[in-house]
Amino acid sequence: MNFFNILAEPVGVSHYLLVGAVLFTAGVVCMVIKRNALGVLMGIELVLNGANINFIAFGSPVLRGESTVSIGLDGQAIALFVILLAAAEAAVALAITLNFYNNHATVDVDRAEDLKG
Amino acid sequence: MELEQTLPILLGLAWITPLFSFVAILFFGPRMGTHGKNAASVATAAIVCSFVFSLSALLMWIGVHGMSGGSHGSHHVLLTDSQTVLVAGSAQWNLADHQASGSEDASEAVHPAHDADAAGVQPEDAHNLHHSPDSSDSHGAGAHVPISYSGDWYTLFKVGSLELTIGWYIDALTLLMFVVVSLIASCIHIYATGYMHDELHEVIDHEVHLVAGGHLHRPGRFSRFFQSLSLFCFSMFGIVIAGNLAMIFIFWELVGICSWFLIGFYYERKTASNAANKAFILNRVGDFGMLIGLMALWGALGTFRFADSVTMSLDDGKPVVAKGLFNLVRPAENDHQLIVPDGMVKASASGEIAGIMIEHATRPRDGESELKSRISQWRSDGLGSWLLIVAGLGIFCGCVGKSAQVPLHVWLPDAMEGPTPVSALVHSATMVAAGVYLVGRLYPILAPEVLLVIAYIGMITLVIAATIAMVATDIKRVLAYSTISQLGYMMLALGVGGWVAGLFHLITHAFFKSLLFLCSGSVIHACHTNDMRRMGGLAKVMPWTAGAMLIGCLAIIGAGIPFVIGFSGYYSKDAILAQSLSFVQNNPSHQILFLAAAAGASLTAFYMFRLWYMTFAGEPRDHHVAEHAHESPLIMVAPLVVLSFFAVVAGWSFSGEGGLTGLLEQARPAGTSEGASHGLLQVSLMIPAEHESHQGAVHRSATLVAFTTAALGLLAATSLYLWKFVSVELLSRMFGPLVIFLSKSWYFDELYSFLFMKPVLLVSSLASGTDRHAIDRFVDGIAWCARRLAVFDDWIDRFVVDGVVNATAHATWNIGLKMRDFQTGKVRQYVMFIVIGTIALFVLASMLWNSTIAG
Amino acid sequence: MNTGFAITTGSMFATIISVANINWHGMFFAIFALAACAMAVAVVLTDNVVRMAFYLVLSLGATAGLFFLAGAEFVGAMQLMIYVGGTLVLLVFGVMLTAQAPFVSMKTPQRDWVLASILAVCLLAVLVQASVGVDAWRTAAVSVGGGVQREAPEPSATPLGMALLGMRVDNDSSGIVTPSIRSGYLLPFEIVSIHLLVVLVGAAYLARAKRRRTPRAVETAGQSELKEEVRVAS
Repeated sequence: MNFFNILAEPVGVSHYLLVGAVLFTAGVVCMVIKRNALGVLMGIELVLNGANINFIAFGSPVLRGESTVSIGLDGQAIALFVILLAAAEAAVALAITLNFYNNHATVDVDRAEDLKG
Repeated sequence: MELEQTLPILLGLAWITPLFSFVAILFFGPRMGTHGKNAASVATAAIVCSFVFSLSALLMWIGVHGMSGGSHGSHHVLLTDSQTVLVAGSAQWNLADHQASGSEDASEAVHPAHDADAAGVQPEDAHNLHHSPDSSDSHGAGAHVPISYSGDWYTLFKVGSLELTIGWYIDALTLLMFVVVSLIASCIHIYATGYMHDELHEVIDHEVHLVAGGHLHRPGRFSRFFQSLSLFCFSMFGIVIAGNLAMIFIFWELVGICSWFLIGFYYERKTASNAANKAFILNRVGDFGMLIGLMALWGALGTFRFADSVTMSLDDGKPVVAKGLFNLVRPAENDHQLIVPDGMVKASASGEIAGIMIEHATRPRDGESELKSRISQWRSDGLGSWLLIVAGLGIFCGCVGKSAQVPLHVWLPDAMEGPTPVSALVHSATMVAAGVYLVGRLYPILAPEVLLVIAYIGMITLVIAATIAMVATDIKRVLAYSTISQLGYMMLALGVGGWVAGLFHLITHAFFKSLLFLCSGSVIHACHTNDMRRMGGLAKVMPWTAGAMLIGCLAIIGAGIPFVIGFSGYYSKDAILAQSLSFVQNNPSHQILFLAAAAGASLTAFYMFRLWYMTFAGEPRDHHVAEHAHESPLIMVAPLVVLSFFAVVAGWSFSGEGGLTGLLEQARPAGTSEGASHGLLQVSLMIPAEHESHQGAVHRSATLVAFTTAALGLLAATSLYLWKFVSVELLSRMFGPLVIFLSKSWYFDELYSFLFMKPVLLVSSLASGTDRHAIDRFVDGIAWCARRLAVFDDWIDRFVVDGVVNATAHATWNIGLKMRDFQTGKVRQYVMFIVIGTIALFVLASMLWNSTIAG
Repeated sequence: MNTGFAITTGSMFATIISVANINWHGMFFAIFALAACAMAVAVVLTDNVVRMAFYLVLSLGATAGLFFLAGAEFVGAMQLMIYVGGTLVLLVFGVMLTAQAPFVSMKTPQRDWVLASILAVCLLAVLVQASVGVDAWRTAAVSVGGGVQREAPEPSATPLGMALLGMRVDNDSSGIVTPSIRSGYLLPFEIVSIHLLVVLVGAAYLARAKRRRTPRAVETAGQSELKEEVRVAS
C-alpha cells in the first residue's frame, strides 16, 4: 500500500497516528530547542498529547476496522490517567521551575549545569 | 631431736645456702654496692653459714657417736620417702620405726643376724662394730657396719623401677667433707675478697693484646666471681651429700661447668678460654666412661641408691626393703664381703636363663627356683664379674677426669689460668677432691681388679706429676703438679685398700694445698709474676706468707718426729705408705707400688722445698720484683693463718683413737676392715684389710721409709737451692734432654695433639671441605636457579600482569574522561541524546525485525 | 474510488469534495488535525513564551476535538477541562511569575536549530513510517463502499465511569456485553488519586517561599520587599 494513499483514504487509525507523530516530534523539538524552562515544560505537554492521541486512536470504536483488534475502553482509561498525571507533572515541574528561579534568578535551563560531569 | 632428723636439716641448709647466695648474686649482683662490692659479703656470709651448719652437725654427730672408730651400738638408719612421692616439694622425714624393738622385721631384713663363727677372725679390733638387732652392745663376732643415715628430700620422678630422687646419705665421711669444704671455702672466700679487689673497678688486662694495639679495658667482674664460687660450693656439697649415683652425676656435671666458668674467668685471654675448654672437654671424656659405668650398674641392678630403702607396702602395711647398691654388692648375708650381685650374674647368663625358662615354660615357679639354685654356681664360674669390673672401671674413668689422673691429667696445670683463689678451691677441696671422694664413696662396689687399676693409675700419676713438678718454674704449675701427684697418692692408697688412708690424705691435703695455693696467690699478688726465677729473698718482705708457706711445705712432705708427733701430712702419708707396704707384702709381684710411693715422697720433698727456697730464700734475683713486693693485707693473711693451723693439727688424734681417722673409721664401708678381699677373676690378688697396716712392724717400717725419703728429698733441695753445693745450671746441662722432657710435661700435650687433635682436625677439615665445595655449591646452585626464576617471575609480574591491570585502569580512566564530555549538565542536550537513542533503537530494531523475525 | 486520481490531486479536500455527500467526519478530522499540527509547530517556532502558551492552548484544544471525533467524548472533555482549563492555566501562571524581560524571549543558537531540525526529520520519518506501515490500521470500519454512513458511536462516558468504579459494561472485541467479568480500573484510579495528592503536597512544598541568606544582585527592590513580607507572614 502506497504511502501517499493515506491522504485519499477514509480517516483511520493511521491518520490519528500521523497527527500524534507530528505532535510528538514537535514536542521533542520544543524540549530540545527552548531555553526557557517553561518552554521545555510545554514540549513535554505536547509529547504527552501526541502519545495520548495514539491511545485514543487505538481504543476508538469508531476507527476500528473489521480486522483490527481494538484495545477498547483501556485506551480511554489510559489516556485519562495520562492527562491526570500530566497535570500532576506540570504542577511539580512548575514548582521546580519556580524554585530554580528563586535560587538562580533565571529560567534558562542552560544555566542549570550542576550535573555537569 | 633425734640425730637422724637433725642431720639432714642441718646439712641440707649447709648445702642450699650457697645456692641462695648464687641466685641472689646472679640477679642482684651488680647492684650490690659499688661495682657489686657486697657480693663478696653475701657469698662469704653464705659459706660461713654453711660452715656453721656443718660444724654443728659434726659436733652433734660426735656427741652421739663419739670420735673414735668404735662407739656404742650403731644402727643403719633408714629414712624413707614413701610420702615424698605424693607430697613433692616439701622434704619429709618419714622415719622408719627402726629403733623400737617392734621393728625387728625391718632390721632383720637389712642386717640379718649371722652365724657367730662366720666372722670370728676379728682380733683386738675394739672399735670394730658388731651389729645385731638383738644386742647392739655385744662386741662379739660380726661384721663392721658403718653408721649412716639416708633418705630422700624430693622425688624428681619415678618411672617403673627408675626413681630419681634428691636424697641424702650421711655418714662420718659426708660430715667431714662438709666441714672441710665449707671451712676451706670460707677461708678462700675471705681471701678472695682481698685478692679480687682489682675487679671492683675497670680492669686493664695486660695479658690481652688487642689487634688495634694496647691492652683490653673491661669492666670488673667482682660479683660474677663470687656468684660462680657460690655455685661451685653448692655443687660440691651436692656431690658430697648425694644419696644416689644419679644425683652425684648431676652435681658432678655442675661442678664441671662451674670449673669452666672459673678457669675461664679471664676469658678474654686466649690461654684462659682454652684452658677452660680443655678442662671441660677432658672431663667429658672421663664422664663418658662414667656414664658407661652408670649404665652397667643401672642395667644390671636397677637402682642408683647407695643405701637400702624401706617403703611401706601398699598391700599389708609391712615395710618393704629395696636393697641399695652397697647391700647388693656386699650383702649382709655374706658378711658384707664382695660378691657379684644376682642382677649382674643374670645379665651375663641371659642365654642360660632363657634356656631354663623355656624348659620350664609350663611351670614358671619351678623355673625360678631352679634359677635361684643355679645362680650361685654361675657366680662361682665367674659369670657377671666382668660387669662389676666394667661398672667400677667406668665410674673410675669419671674420677680420672675429675681428679686429673693420668692420662686425663693435662687439664689441671692449664687450669692455673684461673684466678688463684679458684685454683686453691679447685685443687684442694672441691673439684679434684670429688673424684677421690667418689672412689671412696663407691668403694664397697669396686672389685679388687678395679682397685688394682686404680692403684696403678695413682702410682703412675704420682710419679709423673712429681717429676714434672721438679723442673717447673711457674709457681702455680709446681703446685698444680704437686696436686696431681698427691691425688695420685690418694688413688694409690684407695687402690691398695687404704680407704681411711686415702680419704685421710684427701682431707689433710685439702688443708695444706689450699694453704699453699693461697700463699702462692699472695706471692703473685705481691710480685705480679708467676715465674719463680724472678723471685727470691721474699721471706724478708713477706714474713707471714713465707711462714705459712713453710708450714704448708712441711705438711705436704709429711714432716714430723717419727712415732712422736708431726704435721698433718705426716700421718696421712704414713698411712698410705704403710698400706702400700702391707699390700706389696701380700702381693709381691706389685712391688713397684710401694717403691713408687716412697720415691714420690722423696720427690715431693724436693720440689716443694725447691719452690720455697727459690721463692723466699736467698737473695732477690729480680730487684724490680723485690722492690715492689709487699706483705698482703690482713684479709688475705688471716685465712693463711687459719689454714696453717689446720695444716698442722689436722692429723692429730686425741685420746687414742679419736681424731680424723677415728671419724673416718666410723664411715668405713662394711666388710672392708676384716679379712682380705680376693680378686674375682685373679684369685691371687689380695687386698689386705687396712688395720693390718696399723700393726707394729709394718707401720714402723713405713714411717721410717717415709721419714728417710722425705729427709733425702729435703736434703737434696737444700743443698741445691740453699747451700748451692752444686750449680743447678750445671746439673740442668748434664741432664739436658731429661730436663727438657720433664719441662715439656712428658710431651703429653704433644702426644694428644698428634693422636687426637690432628686426626680430628684433619677429619673436620675434610668435612668442612666437603661441606663448602660439594654441599654449599649444590645449595648455592639451587639458590642461583631460584633467584633467576624469581627475576623472570618479577619481569612477568611487572610487565605482563601489572601491564594488563594498568592498561585496563588506564583505558577505564580515559573512557571516563571521554564520557565526561557527554555529561554536559545541559537538559536540552540530554533530551537530544534520548531522541538519538530512540531513533537508533528503532532503526536497529527494524533492521533486526526485517532480517531475523520478519525476514 | 479512483486512488490514482486521489494521488494526483494530492489533496484531502479534493477527495472529500469529490464525493456527492460531504464526509463531515473526514472534514472535521482534517480541520482539527491541521490545527493541532500547525499550532504545535507554531509552539516550536516562536520564541516568545507567552505566545507559546497561547499556541499550546490551541493545539491542545484541537486535540480534544480529535478525541471527540474518535468517539472518546469523555476523555475529550477531560482534555479540555484539565489541560486547557487547568494545566495550561498553571503554565500561564508560571509564565507570568517569571515573565521578566530577559526571559520572555530567549534566542536559541543557530547550531541547535540545525541539529534539532535534523533530529526532528529523522524522528518524524521513523514515526510516520511506523504509523502508516501497518495495513490493519489504515482500514477504517466505514471504508467499504466509500460512501457508507458510519454509525453514531455509543457514548463512552457511562462505560468509562462504571469501569473506573470496577464495573465493565462496555462491549469487548467480540461485541458481547459481559458485565463485571473483566477487570475495571478501580485500583489504578485509587493509586492515581493518591498520587495526585502527594504531587500536590510536594508541589506546594517545593514552590513555597524560602529564606535566603544573601539577596541576589539581580533581584529588584520590589521583589525583596515581597520576600520580606512573605517571610513575615510565614
